[in-house]
Order: sequence, then structure tokens, then C-alpha cells
Amino acid sequence: MVEQESPLKPVWKPGSHGNFANGVGVYLSETMPGSIVQLAAWPGEEKAVIAAIKKVAGVTLPDGAGGGAPGDVKAAFGFAPGKFLVVDEKEGLAEAFAKAVDISVGTVTDLSHGRTAIRVAGPKAEWVLAKFFAIDFSQVSFPVGAGRSTVHHDVFAQIQRTAPTQFDLYVFRSFARSFWTALCHASAEVGYEVR
Amino acid sequence: MSPRRAVSGGRIDRLRTIRFTFDGHSYTGHAGDTLASALLANGVTLFGRSFKYHRPRGVLTAGVEEPNALVTVLSGAVREPNIPATMLEVYDGLIAESQNRFPSLEYDVGAINQLGGKLLGAGFYYKTFMGPVIGPLKGTRFWMFCEHFIRRAAGLGRAGTEREPSRYERMNAFCDVLVVGAGPAGLMAAKAAADKGVRVILADLDANPGGSANWSDETIDGMAAADWAAETVRELKARENVRMLPRTTVWGYYDNNTLAALERVADHKLAPAKGEPRHRQWTIRTGAVVLATGALERPLVFPGNDRPGVMLASAVERYVNQYGVLPGRKFAIFTNNDSAYRAALALKKAGGEIAAIVDLREKISPAAREIAGKVGGAHHTGHAVIDTEGGKQLTGIKVQRFDDRTGVLSDDPRNIPADCLLISGGWSPTIHLASQAGLNPVWSDELQAFLPPQATQNWVGAGGFNGGFTTAGALAEGHAAGLKAAGAPAAAIELPAVDDDGLDPKPAPVLEIKAKGKAFVDHQHDVTADDVRLAHQEGFVSVEHLKRYTTLGMATDQGKSSNVPGLAIMADALGKQIPEVGTTRFRPPFAPVSVGSLAAERYGDIRPDRLTPMHDWHLENGATMYGAGLWHRPMIYALPGETVEQAYVRETKTVREGVGLVDVSTLGKIAVQGPDAGEFLDRVYTNMFSTLAVGKARYGLMLREDGLVLDDGTTWRLGQHDFLMTTTTANAGKVMQHLEYLLDVVWPELKVQLTSVTDQWAGAAIAGPKSRDVLAACLTGTKADNETLPFMGIVRGEIDGAPVMICRLSFSGELAYEVYCGAGHGTHVWEALMKAGKPFGIVPYGLEALGTMRIEKGHVTGAEIDGRTTARDLHLDWMLSKKKPFVGSAMMDREGLVGEGRLQLVGIVPLNNRPVNGGAHIVEELYEDGPRDSIGHVTAMCYSPTLGKYIALALVKDGKSRRGTRAFVSDPLRKRFGPVEIVSHHFYDPEGNRMHG
Amino acid sequence: MLITCPYCGPRDVSEYSYQGDGNRTRPDPASTDQEAWNAYVYDRLNPRGEHHEIWQHSGGCRAHLKVTRNTLTHVISSVGFARDAGHRKSDGHRKTGAEA
Repeated sequence: MVEQESPLKPVWKPGSHGNFANGVGVYLSETMPGSIVQLAAWPGEEKAVIAAIKKVAGVTLPDGAGGGAPGDVKAAFGFAPGKFLVVDEKEGLAEAFAKAVDISVGTVTDLSHGRTAIRVAGPKAEWVLAKFFAIDFSQVSFPVGAGRSTVHHDVFAQIQRTAPTQFDLYVFRSFARSFWTALCHASAEVGYEVR
Repeated sequence: MSPRRAVSGGRIDRLRTIRFTFDGHSYTGHAGDTLASALLANGVTLFGRSFKYHRPRGVLTAGVEEPNALVTVLSGAVREPNIPATMLEVYDGLIAESQNRFPSLEYDVGAINQLGGKLLGAGFYYKTFMGPVIGPLKGTRFWMFCEHFIRRAAGLGRAGTEREPSRYERMNAFCDVLVVGAGPAGLMAAKAAADKGVRVILADLDANPGGSANWSDETIDGMAAADWAAETVRELKARENVRMLPRTTVWGYYDNNTLAALERVADHKLAPAKGEPRHRQWTIRTGAVVLATGALERPLVFPGNDRPGVMLASAVERYVNQYGVLPGRKFAIFTNNDSAYRAALALKKAGGEIAAIVDLREKISPAAREIAGKVGGAHHTGHAVIDTEGGKQLTGIKVQRFDDRTGVLSDDPRNIPADCLLISGGWSPTIHLASQAGLNPVWSDELQAFLPPQATQNWVGAGGFNGGFTTAGALAEGHAAGLKAAGAPAAAIELPAVDDDGLDPKPAPVLEIKAKGKAFVDHQHDVTADDVRLAHQEGFVSVEHLKRYTTLGMATDQGKSSNVPGLAIMADALGKQIPEVGTTRFRPPFAPVSVGSLAAERYGDIRPDRLTPMHDWHLENGATMYGAGLWHRPMIYALPGETVEQAYVRETKTVREGVGLVDVSTLGKIAVQGPDAGEFLDRVYTNMFSTLAVGKARYGLMLREDGLVLDDGTTWRLGQHDFLMTTTTANAGKVMQHLEYLLDVVWPELKVQLTSVTDQWAGAAIAGPKSRDVLAACLTGTKADNETLPFMGIVRGEIDGAPVMICRLSFSGELAYEVYCGAGHGTHVWEALMKAGKPFGIVPYGLEALGTMRIEKGHVTGAEIDGRTTARDLHLDWMLSKKKPFVGSAMMDREGLVGEGRLQLVGIVPLNNRPVNGGAHIVEELYEDGPRDSIGHVTAMCYSPTLGKYIALALVKDGKSRRGTRAFVSDPLRKRFGPVEIVSHHFYDPEGNRMHG
Repeated sequence: MLITCPYCGPRDVSEYSYQGDGNRTRPDPASTDQEAWNAYVYDRLNPRGEHHEIWQHSGGCRAHLKVTRNTLTHVISSVGFARDAGHRKSDGHRKTGAEA
């Protein structure tokens, strides 16, 4: 298999940057999952799709808008009515879902190349993300596992909280470099480490 | 020791000395000083020159409402004007300048304007410069002559022209309770709310939260009020559910309890920390708001009330108690209420000499009388100050007997020497934010002030904001407001104890002393009491008109201190009561907001860059890029020394004769999936798609509901329920929204899922007679011959190990293929194609060559699909299915869209073989006196290497019937005129033999 | 202004795109009634007070919402998914102005 090229290559500068003298506020990374798959259920078929996600990816999704389950290897969350994003470290998830989800239940769309996965972690993760997105990042309203769809100017983002101080962002690949640059810029205040 | 600094007292850090300069002179201050307090401590009283008359001005207040002492702060080559010296914390290395003076603050040429006082009254500019030219010194033309000089002489600070290197940021915040103002009321409110466990934000515009507690010299809870405030702040800061925002001005109250606040993150230091923004613009969404914004003291209006040394009583109290500064040696006090007596007490305690207390009331409270006795000096009740003396510094006041019910002055005036006059005209609650989130403010006769309006949003007020002026009241109201905002039931607690000084804040209903001389209402805009009366005499009776005619309250301080005195004078002139005159609504911002903070992350860079997967390859291989919407696309890949035209001509020729490769990743791509996908496409395209075989593509045309063309592109059937739609680059978002709307709102019964997959696929179009050979050389897993891959066929295979999907379609008119692969493989596949094409002389080509070939072919793009053209206008009527209705079908044949007179697509050949420009008009005849009678316009132009001449596409009235006739191109802007022949838009291979071959 | 998306919760208006008057009903696709089509394509109510509008949560879940908003106060009294509003058949002639 040919490896995916990162859209961040020329702006990827590992190490500590910005005002990190008193510790690093956020850790920025690109998680480069092998598969990013969108599942969409027809109205009334949401449960069937959630069941398929459990069957194929082994991830159990809670009911409710934006519900999700985080995981190191596989993660899934709802981001729109009847729509879910399922992420796997490995490639081939779309093919597996294509077999498991009948067209009468919903659709499977492979976005493995189309979205870039960026992880923002650390004590200042909420602070840095609040500079971009007008959504409430506090754990009360954005619990671990949950997903959100939002936008920063022209850059759409689907965001999953994967740990109390960790967020995984899925942005359109063509905007990824621009967004990453802005993210680094906004993180300089609290000190950041690219890893 | 600075000359005016008290030996002890104040909340400044006397161990830390700060060095700064003002107008080139070096001074020292202490940590905790503002520029105003530090300069006053150094004996500086002259801070600037006034707006219109260039009168010397000092500092009037100690806070955000300061109208006079505005300075410019210099930081390298960057200058930021109009900063109130009262809000600017001093720091080592601060460089500040006074404003509106030439050549210097001490000797200002513009001060001559004072002599022409009558000349520059209200409406001077309107009267002098508007209207027809009557004499040599009247009218609009005269204005045009004078404008340069007037603009130079008037105004406030001068903005810089250097690019500002500071960072600005925006921040979103959410909370349950936002407390605005961290005085005693705000602190209590924050504490009460925080105790209930809700999320609290406490914002205060000063560096040190505490508000009046920092300078009231009271005792709260058995300790100095300032210590109580500091202790409470410490306690709040330690809580996880409280966020403190010092140096933050909440300046706007918007719908749904959304508030805007400006945090001055780094204005108190020479340079921000690494990565730190200078200002941070907060958007705070909150469940409830506690408005604890206090009240602002008002000046009294009397002749000479603007002389340096005349200051608000509360400001002096603050300079003494908070900064340990005595802003004079011999003090006089002029008041219409009790609160100024507190300042007298503070002065006395700090060692100041009180020359006189002039109270325009005849009867005063026992508490005030007691203080007057204590502080010494003369006590003139039933008197008024009728003038001040001195040049750039107050030397004395003139006092006369005054009747506070009739306003009549009597007896002989007497002079009292003083170098600082404290004035108090009562207090106006700071209801600006409430006014943005409420009905009209309510007038209180008792307080001679507007009280908060009825709320239209979820806020609750406390303290001075409500019109109460005791600290004990503020603490009680703050506590209650905090509970209410947190949604908790009211509960009584033992409140911190405060001593009651028994002073009565209710003022006499007198704000103006009518005597001879300029009495200023709006200090910053130099509006006098006579200006207000003049406006009234000239017929301006509405307060809104008064404001605009005199510019009262329209300066950067937005009339914080002048609003009520101005209304009082207007009401007096009209013979009405103040509430009948009304007040203007306070609009955001409460205080000036830096534009940088509003632009924030878009400062400098307006838009994000959108890059294709092969972007870096293009740059490394000599591409000149240009913007197409947010996208960056290669324009040409010029060889050394080539012009743009030479480059695209070479690229075009190579494609027509050999093979070329172009990046088409920017095309909009939408996955259309579901059992009803075919039906849906039939409804949105003008032609049929449900009949398209799997593994085939078809060119499609979309109309808008109004029958005009929306977009075109090919759609590929990848599976029975799986289509890949492509759109033009420019319309991708628009088409997506159009389709989503139809599915969600009009046809929710259709089972179709739309997903933007533009970024999932990298696209490369390989075009030219040798393109098939190149594919054959690198494609595995499938063949690419005519049988396996016919025109509009789709195959899947691999190129150098990466899966690809190839559709044989052509935009160039040559044998061509679009090769799609996963975006992350884009460069990999692109490089493999370039490598395989090397033996065939492959070149990468850019948008210029792409455009040239499409013009030669007569294909339409956004220049022709301009929102005004129909399918017929573009000769695409063959695509309009008659078998089914589709979006736009009902409207496309209506009157005006069919028949004669439509602009139709044609080809244009300049007969002088010179370039023409897009946008140039087509006319039937050239007129010497200028262009007229346009029959259309050029939409696109190129040099056609294939035809060896310049050609163009144009939209021309009844163009089809004009083929073979001559016309002229008229482009007066670029001075290009010349004869053209109108021809068919198909310049090249009209039968399409080359691409089908 | 905040609009509470039934899926995403309250979000700033900048995440939404206004998609026009929600009182319109598209005529039957096969209809050739020019008056009805003209009303659908061009007529927009612009009431002072309560208005039914379509907003797309374009910067979020992308669902179209049917929003009842007071044009005087910006108070939003109801929000629902537009697709749940049901498929309304047109009588071909949309009410205009005060009738609606």
C-alpha cells in the first residue's frame, strides 16, 4: 500500500514552541488514522447503523445527539442527525462497513483521505480551541466521547472529545495546513509541543 | 519624591519605581499608577489641547469617562492615539505624547481659535461650507479649499501609518453568570453566585478589581475596604468555577445574553509576552448578567469649568486615596450634593489645604456641615462658582451668591485663590449596557439621573448602577443579585459591616450656572452651554437633532459626563422637564474598541488558504499560482524568461500535439448516495441520469428555480446507488447548499445522502493525443484502450501501487482522462504520471492553458454562467429533457427568457489581431464621443496557438443571428477599440472528433 | 443572535445560513401554473413580527431548520427540522401579505 501523504508536511515542526518556559499548554499532533468513514442512516434506521458500528468497529455508541465513544484504536461519534463518523487506526474500514450496511439502512462514505485528524491535548486545550470555535468546551456540556460539528470561518470541523483534556478534530484536508498554522499561532501564548 | 505625592497612603507600590516619558520629558511613577496619576504626582496639570478651540486641558476624571486627557502611545513606529491617560497603566519605557497641539503643548498655534469663539459655535461648518456658492467665503467649494487646513487643526490624535505588529485574538466563553464590574456590589454578586456552584465570569475594566473600594477609604468587614476587595478577589480567583477578567471592558450587550468584552491583555507592559495578544476580544454567552457597573460623577457647567486644575470631586478623592497624589496645593470644592464632602475629607487627611467649599444649595445635611467644619476653609452655601482664573493652570475661582431655585446670581463676586477645584454635579448610574438590553431608562427627579430601564434580557442590577450610593447597599444588592442570577432563592446572610457616613447623595436640580463665558458641557467635543441654546434657537428641538447638530456626546467618550448636563440645558431652553426631552439610547461600544481585536485572527490574512494535494509539487516545479476563491491553483509553469502568454501558448501547443497534465482537484465533488439518487439527479439536472449505466459518466446541466443556468459538470455512476457529482470549482458550495435545501425542505421523502468529497479525491486531467499512451505506460489492473475505456467510461485500477479511478472525459477537446485517487496519494500518482509521460514529452499545464483550450472549444464557465444566462443563450438547449420536469423547467421558458433580444454566446475574432479584454463592450458602431449602444460584452479572451490569432467568447444580443457579421469592440478604460467578426463559439474541432478518437 | 439547533444545541448565528421565507410551498413539479411558480420563486413575506424562516445550520450539522422568529425582537419561539415539517401540497396560489 502507498502511504498517505500528510498535508501538513512543510509546516510540521516537531518540538516545543511559543511561550513554553513555564510548561507546555497544549500538545498538537496529527493522528493519521487509516480510516475515516461517514455513516448516514435513513430516518428511523439510526439504531440499525449504531448496531452496525458495534458489529464492525466494536464501538458502542450511546443514544442521543452528538453521542460518541472514544478509543485509542477506534472511535465513533454522531455529528449530525443520523450521521456518524467512525475512525480506525487501520485502513479498510469503509469496505467492511459497505458489506455490513445495506442501502435500505443507510450509506457508507469513505473520507479517509478527505479529512485530516488533528489532536489538541493538554491543560490548555479548551482555552486554545475556544479561540477558534464558538462552542462550549467545558466538560459539563461537552463530555468525553461526544462529538460536535462546528466551523471556524470557512473551515468546517468535526470535533470529538477523546479525553478530559484531549480533542480530536477532523477538518477538510485542503484547509488542514491553513488551520494547523492558525492553531500553532493561537497556541504560542500557552506554549505548545508538536509531536 | 514627586512634588505632589503624599508621603504615605494609596494603593501604589512605592518600592517599585517606573520610568516613562511624556512629550519627551522623563518622569517616574510607581507600580499601580496610571499615566494620569503619575503625571499629577509630578506636578503636571496640562495634558492636552481641546478639539475645536485648542484650549489647554488637564485631567477631569480618574477613569474610563475621561474626556480631556487623551494621549498617544508610541511603540516603535506604531502610534495609538486617543488613549485616556486615566486608563493607561504606567510601565517602564512607556512613551506617551499629548495630542492636538502644534508645535508643542505649551505653545499651541491653534489656540488662536479661542479668540474666534463665536465663529466656531454650533453648526459653524454647516453654515459656512454647505450650499451654493454665494460669495467667495461661502459654500461647498470653499469647504473643498479649507478642508485640508481644518482637518489638520481639528480632531483628536493622529493615527499611525505603520503596520501594527501586535497580535489580536478572539475568545469565546460560556458561563452561567457574568458579573460586570468588580466593585463592592460586583464582588458580592460573584461570590454569592460562585457559592451556588455555577460558572461565573467577573469582568472589570481596571487592573485591580475592587472599584470604589480601592479609593473610598471606608471600612468593610473590619478592614480597609481595599483590603477587603483584595481578599475577596483572592478568594474568588482560587475557585475553579470563577474566571476573573481584569482590564476587561464589557462594551456590548447583544441578543440572547451575548456580551462583547475587550481585554487589554498587554497594554500595561512594554511588550507582550511571547505569543501573547495585545488585546483579546471576548464573546461571552451567559445565562444571566449582573450589572454592577456603578455610577459616573457629572461635572457642573459654569464658565471656565474646563481649566486645568478643575476636576471631578470623586476623581480627586481617588487620586488621593488610591494613588497617594494631591493634585494641587490649595483646593476649592464646588458641588450640588453631599458626595464631594468625602473628597474634602480625603484631602484634609492627606494634608491638603481646603480654601473653600462652595455649595450651591442653601440647605445641606448635618453630616456634610460637620465635615465642612472639620476640614476647615470657608463654607459658602447658596453660592456658585461663576468663573475660573489662570492660564494653563487654575489660580483662582470667582464665587457669587446663588439661588438654587431660581438660578439667579446676586451680590458682588468674590475671588478665592485655589489651584485645584473639585466639582460635583451628582451621579449618573452607568446604565449603558442595560440600555442595550432594556427599554427606555427611567428618570429620577430625586437623583437627577436616569435609572436602569426595564430589562428585556436576563440581567439584574446592583449597587450604584441602581442609583443607590452607599457601600452597605451595594453589598446587599450585590449579594441578592448574585443569587438571583444564579437561579438560587433569595437568602439573607450577615453582610460585611460598613460604617455609614450619613452623607446624602441627592443633588440639587441644578447643573448649570448661567454666567458670562464659555461653559463647557462636552469637554471632548468643545460643546458649550451656549451651543446647546443656539441649537435650540435655530429650531433643533429633538434630542437626536441636538446631538448631531452640536456633536454633543459624539466624541470618543460618548458623552459619559456630558449627557445629563446637556439634556438639562436643552430642557431648560425648551421649558420642559428632562424626561420630556428624552435621552438618546446608549449604543455599543461602551468604550472605544480596537479594530485589530475585531479583526483578530483575520488581521493581515483575510482568508484561509485552500490547497490541493499537489500544491507543493506545483511550487517546486515553477508554477505561478493564483487564487480561485480560497483555492490556490497553478496559472502557468513558466520556463525561465517566458512571459505569461508564451508559457500558456507553449503549454497549450504541447497538449494539442502531445500530452499535458493539469490539477483538477479543486472541482467540487459531491457523493450522491441512496436508493433515490438517480431520481433525485433527474429532478435537479436538466437531463436524465437515472438511465445512466454503472461505470459511465454524463455531462449535466443544472438550472436555478428561476430557469437560469446554475452550474454544469459531469456526474459519474459508480454504483447502482452511488453517484459522484462534480461541480465547477467556484460553485461547489452553492450547488451543495442548493441540493441540500431541495432534499431537506422540498423532497424530504427521497432517500438520498449528500456528502462533500471534494477533499477526498485528488484529480489530475491528462490530455492530448498521447494521453492514452501515458496511461498505458503506468496503469495496472485495467486497460485504457477505447474498448475498455470509451468516451465517458470509468475504470478502476492502480498507478504505482495507488488505487485510481479514471474517467475518460475532455474539457480541452483532446483525447483526455481525469485520473482520481485518494488525496493522500495525489502527489504520488501525479509524479507517476509525469514520469510515465516523460518519454512522450508531457508538460504540466495551468489554468491559462486550460482556459485557452476551453475558449477554443467554446465551453462555458463562470464567465458565461453569470446568473443571467439561460441554457438557450449558451446553446445548451439540447440538454433540456422534454421527458420530465426538473428544477427550473417551469420557469425557463417564460417571457423575457426566450425570444429576441437575449444575449447569446458567440465567438469573436478581432480583425486587427490584437488582444481584447474580458468585460469590453461589443458595439455596432464606434462613436468618437464615447461608448454607447452596447450589444454585449466579451467574457473571455486568449491567444489561440491552434488558430494562430487572438480569439474571444462574448455574450451578444441575438448573437446567433449575427454570426458572420462585423462589429466593434469598445474598451474605453483600456483604450482598446477595433473591428471584430462575430463567429460561432466553436473555434476548434466542432465535431469533437479529437476527443472521441 | 443564537439559534438552538435541535441536534447541536444553541449556536451563534454565524454558523447558520439564511435560506429564506419558510412559508413558501413549491408547486407540483409538473405544474405549468406560471403564477404559482412566480409566487414560489419571487414572492417573500416580510412581516413585522413573527416570521417562519428556513435556516441551514451550514456551519454545523447542515440540517435545514424551520425557525419561527420575531423580526422585531429576534425572539425565536420555535425551531424544528425542516424535513419534519412534512411534505406540504401546494394549492398553487400562495397567500401574500396580510392574508398569510
